[in-house]
Amino acid sequence: MAIITATKTPDRAAPLGERSVIGWIHKNLFSSWFNAILTLLTGYLVFITVTGVFNWGFTDATFVAENRRACYDNSLTGACWAGVIDWLDNIFYGRYPRDQIWRINVGAVLLVLWMAPLWMGRVKGKVLVGTGVVVFYPFLAGYLFSGGDKGLFMQVMVSGAIVALIANTANMLTGVLWGEFLPDFVLRVLGKSTAPDKTQRNILLALLFVVFTAVFVWQLSWTVEFVSWTKWGGLFLTMVISGIGIASSLPGGILLALGRRSKLTVVRVLCVAFIEVFRSVPLITVLFMATTMFPLFMPEGFVLNKLVQVIIAVILFNACYMAETVRAGLQAIPKGQYEAAHTIGLGYWRTTGLIIMPQALKHMIPNIVGSFIGLLKDTTLVSIIGLFDILGMLRSISKDMPWLGLHKEPLIFGAFLFFVLCFSMSKYSRHLEVKLSAGDQH
Amino acid sequence: MQRRTRIVTFAAMGAVAIMGATVASAQSTLDIVKERGHLRCQVGPPSAGYYNLDSDGNWYGLDVSVCQAVAAAIFGDITKMEIQSVSSQARFTALANGESDMLSRTATHTLTRDTQLGIDFLSPNFYDGQGFTVRRDSGITSALELKGAKVCVTTGTTTELNLTDFSRTNELGISNVTFEDYNVRDDTYLNGGCDAVTGDKSSMAGNIASFPVPAEHMILPETLSKEPLASAVRHGDNQWADIVRWSIFALINAEELGITQANVEEMRGSSKDPNVLRMLGAEGNLNEGLGLKKDWAYNIIKSVGNYGEIYEAYMGHGELGIGIDRAGSLNALWTNGGLMYSPPMR
Repeated sequence: MAIITATKTPDRAAPLGERSVIGWIHKNLFSSWFNAILTLLTGYLVFITVTGVFNWGFTDATFVAENRRACYDNSLTGACWAGVIDWLDNIFYGRYPRDQIWRINVGAVLLVLWMAPLWMGRVKGKVLVGTGVVVFYPFLAGYLFSGGDKGLFMQVMVSGAIVALIANTANMLTGVLWGEFLPDFVLRVLGKSTAPDKTQRNILLALLFVVFTAVFVWQLSWTVEFVSWTKWGGLFLTMVISGIGIASSLPGGILLALGRRSKLTVVRVLCVAFIEVFRSVPLITVLFMATTMFPLFMPEGFVLNKLVQVIIAVILFNACYMAETVRAGLQAIPKGQYEAAHTIGLGYWRTTGLIIMPQALKHMIPNIVGSFIGLLKDTTLVSIIGLFDILGMLRSISKDMPWLGLHKEPLIFGAFLFFVLCFSMSKYSRHLEVKLSAGDQH
Repeated sequence: MQRRTRIVTFAAMGAVAIMGATVASAQSTLDIVKERGHLRCQVGPPSAGYYNLDSDGNWYGLDVSVCQAVAAAIFGDITKMEIQSVSSQARFTALANGESDMLSRTATHTLTRDTQLGIDFLSPNFYDGQGFTVRRDSGITSALELKGAKVCVTTGTTTELNLTDFSRTNELGISNVTFEDYNVRDDTYLNGGCDAVTGDKSSMAGNIASFPVPAEHMILPETLSKEPLASAVRHGDNQWADIVRWSIFALINAEELGITQANVEEMRGSSKDPNVLRMLGAEGNLNEGLGLKKDWAYNIIKSVGNYGEIYEAYMGHGELGIGIDRAGSLNALWTNGGLMYSPPMR
């Protein structure tokens, strides 16, 4: 006879051993006498390591001192962070003139301001924002960092960049406040219809022209002092090299990858040769070739800019790695996608740009970001060829007389900085992946 | 990595040796420097005493002062100079290919370097030599007592070869403990990983000063090698070589004549010594052969001081000095038994 009731028997709570903290500890840490010993031993090791590091780096450490001798006088067993603190300007800005450092800070703030809309859900026209950053920001930042007389070209580009920045910021405001795209907003305020036609376009162009002229006249009234690239250094230089490297190696890599899969023999052979040559030599060799051998082939008195040579070398080197990553992504796209694109009448470029690349790039994000992180860390190699990037600066502290021999603390500080940079890049890539694959979750 | 860069370097040096003759050509280095408006002076990655960065990003040191002296001789202004810091693998190539106008760094003058790299060495501004550092409480007072000792040394340099030679010659059976980085070498020594450290005496003096308790360590009297550290210029431009050479001699000569940064103004006006007047340009025409202005030597001393003052500031006991006694060393003036000797300036 079956006992059937209409009501469900209430769930019983899990046994105490499953849900209490003590139960968890018992199960996971002290399940047998052998595991108990291991737990205690590990606990002890963790304890002495953590207290040791804490005592060295914090309790016994010296944060304010005139020189290393004063650190020793304070404590023989603690870290001497005073040296790192004394050198912070060098570590972040290199030998950049101290009264001009604000220019680097402004450049950094402008970049954040420019990129911010990309993270804001309500802002429209993200593709334009992204293009604006890549096309205009380098000119504005380039002038801000190096200064000197603006030629006519730089005057136009700087004005263009400022106009783009104004438009970008205005677009961000209209987006956040009213969820509207800037041109639509302008037209609405002017009382015109937003339907696309020639008059609307002409109004917008006229407005743009007025703003541009105003900015152009305004920028004629100021210049900033010239600062030679030889004074660039520290984290700033690392960011310049890796920033340009990152921004240029991805497009370069995509072109090379497409070239390598091209049906045109000459293009394919050139791309394959280029990729294979650069991939087969170490970066340091490429850097030495660019800075040491290259000038030998140039006419005497040829103006050498080591920084430009280094940046070009870094871009070429990383574009080749990127090309292979992109090619891997392209190969993962099923043939059906190409065929479907052809069926609806798309040509090569539109197939690639609208159908293939968006899918391929999404799959490649972990690898691409991996390359970017690698690139950021690889740029420290430039300290070997005499540029004072962050690593070069950190290593120089131990040679400065007041801090002679101080080498552990700077390197630990550098490791910390790099961890912060690389880990945030990595977290951001995870975030992007989740966001972009939202459509795939069935 | 290190090995690969070395191969690259040698390849580069080979190319330079071939091209050396062609690089030095049409325009004289002095004209190029004047036209550019500043001197490009090559040093190495920071090295205590010779060339260091301070926390404001300025260069200072013995070799930096030599660069400044040359800039002062040409322009009368030590700021018209750019310091280029080049790794030791690329140093001679960067000079030979025209990137640097001169080299003033811890480069030892040797026959091979002088003859095969398309460069010329000038007069030394520092005489260094390899030695040993030991703990005072070890009781060792001579390098010959280092029988069977473990000695920390940086790898891939002549330092290591000299140590091996010294050990073989004296049958000491020293075992080398090698390091790539000299900071790690010193840490190992401080933590008892080896009985002694070997390296250039000048840099070891600086390192000892940076140890937790400097008084516990000492440098042994023996010197294993000759290390005349000299400036160098590209081969083939004799006028330029003369300018750099005599800028250094001017520093030494000024010390001998008692001209200092403080009294150079007064000496030019009121000295009775024709040697002083000739050198400072108040009499004669020493500048003409060099192609410089009349007050070139005056500008040098006015801007950087004489050799003794520079030595005291960076190698001696000045605030930024690494604390090497000058008296009785090879770097004393010849009148005090050292090797610092300038030919007569007349």
